[in-house]
Amino acid sequence: MSRSSHPLAARPTLLVLALLVAYGGARGQGTAPAADSPAADGKAADSKPAPSKPADAKPADDKYSLVEGSVSAGLGLVSGDSAERAQFGQYNGLRNAPNAFGLLDFSYYRRDLHAGTTVNFTGTNLGLQTRELRLGWNRQGDWKVFADYNEQIHYDPYSVNSGSTGLGTTNPNVVVLPGGVGTGDDSELKVKRTAFGLGVWKAITPAISLDLKFNTEDRNGSRAFGNGFTCPSATAPGCPPGAGNRTGSAILFLPEPIDSNTTIVDARINYADAKLNLSAGYYGSFYKNSNNVLQPNVPGSLNNPVGTLLPLTNGLQGILNNPLALPPDNQAQFVDVTGNYLLAEATTMKFKLSYSWLTQNQDFASSGLTGAPAGSSNLDGSMNTGLALVGLTSRPTPQLTLTADASYQSRNDQTPLANYNVEGTNVYTNRSYPLQTIRARLGGGYQFNTDYRGTLDLGYESLDRGTFTPTSAVAGVSALRQTTDETGVRLEVRRRMIEDWSGAITLSSAWRNGSDWLKPNSGTGVTEVSDPNAAFSPSAIFPYTLADRQRDKVKLTVNWQANEALSLQFLAEGGQDKFDSPTSYQEGLEKTKLNNFSIDADYVLSEMWRLNGFISTGQQQLHQTRPAGYILSYKATTTTFGVGFTGKATDKLQVGGNLAYIDDRSAYPQDLAATASPANQALLSATGGLPDVIFRQTMLNLFGTYDIDKQSAVRVNMVYQYNKVQDWGWAYGNTPYAYSDATTLYQQPTQSVGMIGVAYIYKF
Amino acid sequence: MRMKRLLAVFGLCLGSVMTPAWAVSGDDGSKVCLECHDDLPDMSKSAHAMATDARTPSCVSCHGPSLAHANKEKGKKQGRPDRVFAGEDALTPTERSAVCLSCHNSGKQLALWAGSQHPTTDIACTSCHKVHTNHDKVLSKATQTEVCFTCHKEQRTQMQRPSRHPIQEAKMSCSSCHNVHGSAGPHLAQRDSTNDTCYTCHAEKRGPFVHQHQPVSDNCANCHNPHGSTIPAMLVARAPILCQGCHTPHGPTVGAVGGQPGVYAPAVPPQLQPAVTANSSGKNVVNLWQARSCTNCHTQVHGSNNPAATNPTPQFMFR
Repeated sequence: MSRSSHPLAARPTLLVLALLVAYGGARGQGTAPAADSPAADGKAADSKPAPSKPADAKPADDKYSLVEGSVSAGLGLVSGDSAERAQFGQYNGLRNAPNAFGLLDFSYYRRDLHAGTTVNFTGTNLGLQTRELRLGWNRQGDWKVFADYNEQIHYDPYSVNSGSTGLGTTNPNVVVLPGGVGTGDDSELKVKRTAFGLGVWKAITPAISLDLKFNTEDRNGSRAFGNGFTCPSATAPGCPPGAGNRTGSAILFLPEPIDSNTTIVDARINYADAKLNLSAGYYGSFYKNSNNVLQPNVPGSLNNPVGTLLPLTNGLQGILNNPLALPPDNQAQFVDVTGNYLLAEATTMKFKLSYSWLTQNQDFASSGLTGAPAGSSNLDGSMNTGLALVGLTSRPTPQLTLTADASYQSRNDQTPLANYNVEGTNVYTNRSYPLQTIRARLGGGYQFNTDYRGTLDLGYESLDRGTFTPTSAVAGVSALRQTTDETGVRLEVRRRMIEDWSGAITLSSAWRNGSDWLKPNSGTGVTEVSDPNAAFSPSAIFPYTLADRQRDKVKLTVNWQANEALSLQFLAEGGQDKFDSPTSYQEGLEKTKLNNFSIDADYVLSEMWRLNGFISTGQQQLHQTRPAGYILSYKATTTTFGVGFTGKATDKLQVGGNLAYIDDRSAYPQDLAATASPANQALLSATGGLPDVIFRQTMLNLFGTYDIDKQSAVRVNMVYQYNKVQDWGWAYGNTPYAYSDATTLYQQPTQSVGMIGVAYIYKF
Repeated sequence: MRMKRLLAVFGLCLGSVMTPAWAVSGDDGSKVCLECHDDLPDMSKSAHAMATDARTPSCVSCHGPSLAHANKEKGKKQGRPDRVFAGEDALTPTERSAVCLSCHNSGKQLALWAGSQHPTTDIACTSCHKVHTNHDKVLSKATQTEVCFTCHKEQRTQMQRPSRHPIQEAKMSCSSCHNVHGSAGPHLAQRDSTNDTCYTCHAEKRGPFVHQHQPVSDNCANCHNPHGSTIPAMLVARAPILCQGCHTPHGPTVGAVGGQPGVYAPAVPPQLQPAVTANSSGKNVVNLWQARSCTNCHTQVHGSNNPAATNPTPQFMFR
């Protein structure tokens, strides 16, 4: 079973202590004398003229100090239950909240100009599972500290109905629902993040500052996961296929149990003068998982593909009971030097050098993972990456700007090889290829006149995946490639705002190709192919991440200030990726397309009232040729619009609101080719094709704040959200997808939620 | 009353940090500005109003001495300030940013600004940041997207889709993943690669694993659209379509789902039998197209650390 054992785990008590210490200090330091004023955070020490008054001059009047803040407390009411709030409550903490819940927020701000210090202390959503606290305390230009506490929760919009027990733990017991689908217990998948952070910034000298940050985050909960297997298999030769009296395959829903911690340490030292900005840092990210394996307990009988409970074929139960590895502990550490240097008055050089170590050496046996090759007690995983980047930007004339960037990144896998893989009689090793990436960009911008500017950019990217490890093998892909190279050009003409309008048009194209294709051998390794037509079968797929590709894009924006009150913005953009097969026949991804059009408007009705709105529509397309003799497309058409207003109805009443709507329809048309089998022709004829997936959401937000007096107000928030979800992923019509134990996942197709919050605000 | 008091305080603060330009001119610094510009928004709580910081700017720090503007001669048209940040006679974007960068050029955040995507498309600091305010929208998670969406409309649409990051709830913002001031990573990623940026919150995907899924460890964006999707897990396309962009499919069958005619019994002529029967393989059309699709069986799509060298080995991401 899972347990939490993180020494650095976030605990609210730690935060409270930190806040008390910091806040107590803030109250006490107000009378401290002002120190010298060194470099401020984000400010170069010598790049600013000296002030005409001494830095530590003290204002004479106590009115230079200011304390203000507010406390907002109230009650929220939300309609519906968890099913109605499936979309609404994904992240806001209200999915399973009671119909009435507390609202509590506060803010505290203290400024002391004598000492030059400010304190900010805020708390938001304190009545919900998304609460945040942040305390910041600083003396500008000298030091600052902060502490924060943050809760975040994510609910999967799908609910689970299952007879299995222990779902979400490391030892779930799979139980076939005797009453069939829909007769089990309902549960929800959620992941809670609880984070605690600390930070310190200190100016050591006017030019040197130190920046330290620490963050530790716990994650608890579960998310969609599972296992499945089909007999027979090349990797399970002893397992026979299903028959009329035996179930030969199974799919199980086994949520991944989550109980982990990620701790990040970020330390930097910065130097800045009039010419040089230099920042050197260390960044460490340490992941620790309390759950090592998911060990299911699967019974000897499960439902077959049509829902009949039958004994499993020989060997299948053992396969399904194998432990599933959960993410192992791992560590990533980075060091870098980043900066820029003013080479001449109008020429800047920027640079970055970084190196990282990624390690993973979780012990297999103690994690409950057996069967490792002899001599391998852990992976001893080690991945090192180096990066060098240099860039030059120059403005040789007032009209001309030139830019040149180049970077080289090299990722090297230093993990030892061992015989982890077996397929039949073939035994071969693990492998993670090295990756060398070269990127370069050469650009120029020219100001033709005061109104028009043109930009031309040339880009290059090269990826080299290294020589294929000869002891390794490729599973499930037809072809690989060692290098891919992409060259691109981008042209833009921009007009600044004159005569009420401004705009820009951008055209870009990029071409990717690469080295000869590599064909996996029947055993280990790959063979370079010079004649793809002869070497590859007609069903070969050339991965879209490696295939030759032409990418074209166009984008047009126009801003129009129609009059003093009305401003409009138009945008049209489109693009496509076209993939070329190295053979005369093509399977896999052929092309993708994208377009988007939008209009935004902002209208100032009066000094008190303002309106805004937008409408946007676009389509994303994908076309994939498939070996079954048909082309499958994906066409997602999305239309969104929103209108909003803010205004002051009276001196005391401020109101606002917005209405947002999205209509997203994904279609999956399938066009048969002459080579389609009779079975496919018949099935497509019977079904009429895949149904559309539809998501529609209408959301209305209204708020009003009424000032009772100078120190108090009442705020009312109202939200209404309507969702329509039609997705056949887990069910179509009245037919749910049923796992082999009759587990189903469900989301209510229409969801309607109303919420109102009333809060009294006290300001001081 | 409160506003006037704050403005008065601000004015005095500004007056206390006059720049040499004004001293040379013999004028009375920014106090002169406030004699007319007393209707500026309250910015008394901003970093630019902290008098005890030696380098807190005054009006003239950014707008220049502007003598022709301040000393209007009778009967003549008033001149514009030396540096104007909006309107027809505004500085160019490069010049506008140069004003800000004359002070804000320290630390990693801005180190790679020069030549990065935003300045090369004429985006200046003031295109996104507002100075004359206590609440700069881009500095708050709750309001930052309003600014970014001014240009990034496609992302505005994507973030309204059901599978998304918690940006609407202000638990994240664009700057959680992007350093808009310049980066060594693609698409202005906060870290040097897309994956290193994602691993900030999703470190469990980092590995290295015994069985790597190479496109996953190369680039999360090969499969995910972090700005939002209608497909669960923010996938760029639904499995099996996504997976079969690289992998040969199991079973040459057209797409269909349970509940459609001809998928389960009865068969629909000219079908000889329904697509799924008691003797169908686990690689049947329903398991391929519904639930978690390919990951119904190949569940360890992000990589597996299972070392078992006994059959069935986890090499196909089974366990």
